[in-house]
Amino acid sequence: MTQIQKNPAFLQHFDPNTGIATLTFAMPDGANKINEAFGVGLAMGLDWLSSLTGLKGLILDSAHKNFCVGGDIDVMYKQRDAAAAREGVMQLHGLLRRLETLKYPVVCLLAGSALGGGYEFALAAHARIAVDDPKIQIGLPEVSLGLLPGMGGTQRLPRLIGLQAALEAILQGKLYRPAQAKDAGLIDDLAVDAQAARTKAEAWIAAHPRAKQPWDREGFAFPGPQPATGDARNLLMAASAMLFKKTAGAFKGPEAALSAVQEGTQLTFDAGLVVESRYFAGMVTSDQAKDMLRTIWYHRTAAEKHDGLPSVEEGGIRKIGILGAGMMGAGLAFTSALRGYEVVLKDIRQEALDRGMEHCLGEVSKRRELDEAGKKQLASRIKPTLASADLEGCDLIIEAVFEKLEIKHQVNQELEGLLAANGIWASNTSALPMNDLAIVSKQKDRFIGMHFFSPVEKMPLLEIIMGAETSQDTLARCLHYCKAIKKLPIVVNDGYGFYTTRVFSAYALEGVQLLAEGHPPALIEWAARSAGMVVGPLQVFDEVSLSLGRHGIEQGEKYLGTELKLAGVELLKQLVDIHKRNGKAAGAGFYNYEDGRRKGFWDGLKSLVAQMPAESSETLVQQRLLLIQCVEALKALESGVLRNHRDADLGAIFGVGFAPNTGGPFSYLDRIGLNNAVATLTAFAERYGTRYAAPAILKKMAAASERFFEKV
Amino acid sequence: MGEAYIYDVVRTPRGKGKNNGALYTVRPVDLVVTVLKALQARQGLDTREVEDVVMGCVTQTGEQGSCIARAAALEAGFDQVAAGVTLNRFCGSGLEAVHYAVGQIAAGFVDLMIAGGVESMSRVPMGSDGGAMWDATNQWRVGTVPQGVAADLLATLRGFSREEVDQFAFRSQKRAVEAIEKGCFQRGIVAVRDQNGEVVLARDEFPRPDATFEGLSALRPAFQMMGEQFGLDTITKRAYPHIERIEHIHTAGNSSGIVDGAAAVLLASKEKGAALGLKPRARIRAAAVVGDEPILMLDGPIPATRKALKKAGMDIRDIDLIEVNEAFAAVPLAFMQAFGVSPEIVNPHGGAIALGHPLGATGAMLLGTVLDALEDRDQTTGLVTACIAGGMGIATIIERV
Repeated sequence: MTQIQKNPAFLQHFDPNTGIATLTFAMPDGANKINEAFGVGLAMGLDWLSSLTGLKGLILDSAHKNFCVGGDIDVMYKQRDAAAAREGVMQLHGLLRRLETLKYPVVCLLAGSALGGGYEFALAAHARIAVDDPKIQIGLPEVSLGLLPGMGGTQRLPRLIGLQAALEAILQGKLYRPAQAKDAGLIDDLAVDAQAARTKAEAWIAAHPRAKQPWDREGFAFPGPQPATGDARNLLMAASAMLFKKTAGAFKGPEAALSAVQEGTQLTFDAGLVVESRYFAGMVTSDQAKDMLRTIWYHRTAAEKHDGLPSVEEGGIRKIGILGAGMMGAGLAFTSALRGYEVVLKDIRQEALDRGMEHCLGEVSKRRELDEAGKKQLASRIKPTLASADLEGCDLIIEAVFEKLEIKHQVNQELEGLLAANGIWASNTSALPMNDLAIVSKQKDRFIGMHFFSPVEKMPLLEIIMGAETSQDTLARCLHYCKAIKKLPIVVNDGYGFYTTRVFSAYALEGVQLLAEGHPPALIEWAARSAGMVVGPLQVFDEVSLSLGRHGIEQGEKYLGTELKLAGVELLKQLVDIHKRNGKAAGAGFYNYEDGRRKGFWDGLKSLVAQMPAESSETLVQQRLLLIQCVEALKALESGVLRNHRDADLGAIFGVGFAPNTGGPFSYLDRIGLNNAVATLTAFAERYGTRYAAPAILKKMAAASERFFEKV
Repeated sequence: MGEAYIYDVVRTPRGKGKNNGALYTVRPVDLVVTVLKALQARQGLDTREVEDVVMGCVTQTGEQGSCIARAAALEAGFDQVAAGVTLNRFCGSGLEAVHYAVGQIAAGFVDLMIAGGVESMSRVPMGSDGGAMWDATNQWRVGTVPQGVAADLLATLRGFSREEVDQFAFRSQKRAVEAIEKGCFQRGIVAVRDQNGEVVLARDEFPRPDATFEGLSALRPAFQMMGEQFGLDTITKRAYPHIERIEHIHTAGNSSGIVDGAAAVLLASKEKGAALGLKPRARIRAAAVVGDEPILMLDGPIPATRKALKKAGMDIRDIDLIEVNEAFAAVPLAFMQAFGVSPEIVNPHGGAIALGHPLGATGAMLLGTVLDALEDRDQTTGLVTACIAGGMGIATIIERV
C-alpha cells in the first residue's frame, strides 16, 4: 500500500493489490479549475503513472463536491493574446492526449458536476460513470458565456455521440442531469453513490483491459452520419440555419463552435484539436466574450451572493401574504411555497382565486422531483382565501393588485395592520414610486418595492426598490427572502419607473417611434434581434399590451411632468383608441394573431405611418434601439435611482431582455467608447429629438476618459 | 479582337433525372461521347483539327469527376490531340464553356474547338460534391440559402403571385409540347444509344402534355418547410431585413426539372471554318458574366444581359429571340419585368420548367434552341441568359450569319 502523494492539482494514489491508480482532482480552495496548475498537476500525475509497475487501470475522481465546473474564468477574462491562448490550450491538449492514449483503461468518476472544461477533461477518459443524483449537472455551457468548448469538446463529443447529438449539447449549452446524460451518451453508466461508482469503475477496468478512445481505434466511424457526406452536410446546413434563426447572427460563440465541429471532424483527431484551438483563441480574446463574462458571470455571481448589500442571518419571514391572485400573484404564491414558506393567497373575487389556484396546482404537478405526498404538502402550503383575517400574522405581505395608486393605498390601509410585529409590506409595482405608495403606511421603514417579472417561475430578476424611509434591515430581510426563492436581485432607489421599467419603456416606445417615422416594421424587429435584443420591440409591446403602454405613458407624463410629443405616441394612441388594437391578448396589435400566434403585421399600419425615410438601415435602427436604452440607464444613474453600474447591466439583461452579447447598456457604452457615444447621441438628438441628448454624466465621464468598467 | 463562329450545336434528349429516367442507365461520359460523335459525323470533322474540348459540369465528383471532357474525347475516338478541360460555373457552366472557347478563338490561341456541357443528375446527385459555399463558416461570413428559397424571395421582392408563376409554368409546358410536336427540336437532337446501338432515348422525357393550370395550382410549395422551419428564410434577413416574410410560391411544377443530358457546340475562327469548308451558322456578338447579390442569387440574368448588350452596342429591342433559363418561374418573370420584353419572344419553345435543367449542359442546349428557332423564323439575333448559384449571371448574344 503506497501512501497518497500530493501535486498542485491532484492526489496520487496507487493500490498495488488491485493495480489501480487514482488521480483525485483536489485543487486548493475547495474547487477544481482548468488552469495552469491543472496542467502542471496533470503532467506530474502522468509522469508518476509512468513510474509505476503493475498498473492495470486509472481512476479519475474529485476530492471536492464537484468534479470540475470549468476553466479558470479569471484567466480567460484577462486573456487578450490569441497566440498565447492557443499555446495554453495546445499544451493541455498534449496532456489530455497522453492521458487518453495510456496503455491501460482510464475511467472518470463523477460524484459531482462536470461542466465546460471539467466535462471536457472527463471526455479524455475512456469511460465516465456518474452518481445518479439530479443535483449533478453535466454539459458544455460555454456558449452561454460567449465562448465555445476549448479543451477538445467540439472534437471528442461528436466522435463519441455523433454530430447531431453533439451539436445539440454544444450549440444550446445544454445541461444534463446524470440520467439524461446517460441517455444522450455523454456518460457511460450511473451508480447510486460514489462507492458504487468506484466499484463499477473497477469492474469496467477489469472488463476493458485494452481500452482505447474510439477515435484512436483502427477503422473508427462516427456514430450517425460521417463528416463530409451528403447527410452530414444537410445536417450541418440545417443546424447553421437554425442557429442563425435563434441568434440572428448576434452571438459569435455558437457560430464558432459549429464551424469548429464542421471543419475539425473532417480531419484527423489531432488536426481537429488545432482547428478548435484557433476558434477558441479567437473567441476567448474577443470583446463579446469579455462583456458577456463580466455581466453574466462576474456581476451575476456577485449579485447572487449579495456582494455590497446588507445581510441578516435570519430573515424572520415564515408566513407570506400575497394580495391578488392574477398571473403575478399566483406565480409568487407558488414560488414562495416551493421554498417552504407558508402562503396565504388572497383575492376579492372567488373566480380570480380559483384561476390563481389552478395555476399553482398546475405548477405543483410539474415538479417531477416530488412524489405524490410531496406535491400534496407543497400545495397545502398555499391557502387561498377571500377573508382578510387569514392574513393575520404574516411576516411579509406582497401586494400585487391593480397598478393604480388609489387602489394600492386602499389595500395598504385596510390590511397593513394584519402584519405580524416587525412585518414587511412589499408592493409589487412596475412603476409607481414607493414614496407615493408609502404615504398612507404607518410603517414606512418596513415598506419596500419588489418588482417581479412575469412569469415569476421563469424570470430570474427581482428589482428591489428602496423608499426614502425604507430601513436597511427591511432590505436585508427582503434579500434573505430573495435568496430563498432563488432570484437575482438588483437594488435601486425610488423614482418613477425605477430602473427596468424606464429602460423597457424607452425600448418599446422607440420601436413605435421608428415605425411611425416610416421604417419598415420587419426591419425594426430584425434590427433589434440582430443587435442581440431577445425580442423585437413591436412584438414585446404587443405582449405587454398597447393599452398598458398607453396608460403608462400618461402616468409617466403625470409623474415626470414632461409631455412626450412623439409621432410614436400618437400612433400608439390611434391604435388603441381608434383601431382597438390593444395587443396580443386582444388578438390584434402591431401584429395580427390567430389563436394567440403571430400572423404578420397588421396591414392598416401602412396608412398610419410616414413614408419610409431616406435614411433607413439595419445599422441605424440597431443603434437607435440600443442607445435610447443606454440614455435611460444613464438618466437612472444620474438621478440616483441606480446605486451602481453592476445593476444597470444585470437589470437590463435579465429584466428587459437587453442584448446579452453586449454585456448590458454600460458595457455597450464602454465598448463603443464614451466619446463616440456622446458624438452619436448628439447627432441623434439633432436629427431624431432631444430624448437622445447625451446626459451630463456621460459627457463628464467621456471628458475625463473614464469608463464604467475596468478595461481588459 | 478576333471573332468566333458557331458551326453546329447538338444535344441529347433530356431524360428524367431519377432512377426511373431513361438515361439513368447511361454513364455520364457516354452522354458526352454521344454529342461529340454526333458533331463529328454531322460536320464530317477530322478530329485532328479539334484542339480542345471544354465541358461545363457542375457536380464534378464520382463519375463526373476528374475532367470528364478529356475522358469523353478519348472514349469518343477523337484524335489524341483533342485536349479536354472541365469547368464549373454552376448553372452557367454550359454557356461558360462556350465563352471559354470564344475567348480562346478570339485571342488566337485556338482555331477550332468544341464546347458544351453535361450533367447526369440521376447518377451524380446535385450537391454531392460539397463545397465551401454550403458550410457553416461561409454561412456566418456571407450567408447563403438554397435556390428554392432564393426563388421565393425573388418572387416576394418582385411581387409575383402564385397564380403568375403557375401561369408561366403552364405556358412553358404548352410551348414545349407544341415545339416537340412540330419537330422544332428535331434538328438539334441526337438519340442516346446503348453500346449495341439500341436507342435508349430519342426525345425529351420530362414534359407533361397532360399538365393543367389547375393541377399546377394544387401543388404544395416545395421550399416552405425548409424556409420556415429550418430557419433558411431568416438568413435572407442579412440582405433583406425589411422583408417581413417570404411568400413560398414555387413548387415542383413551376421550378426547373431535374434531368440528365449533354450538349456540344462546334466553334471556330472564320478562317479555320472556311479552310475546312464548314458553313458558319452564327457569330458570337457578346458574352458577359456578372457577380450579383448572393443571397437573392437568381437575379443575375438582368445585369448580365445589360452588360452583354452594352458590349455588343445593342439595345434589348435589337434582340429577336430570348432564352432565359427557367430555373424557377420567377427568374424569367423578373427578366421580362425588368426589360419590358414581350412574352412572345421569351422562351418560345418552353423552357426548363417543362424540359428540365441538366445543370452543366443547359447553357449549351439553350444556345442550340435559340439558334434553331432563329433559323426557323428567319430571324437574326438571339440572347441566352441564366441565373447562377452564388449570385452570378451569364448572357450570350448571337447573330446569324
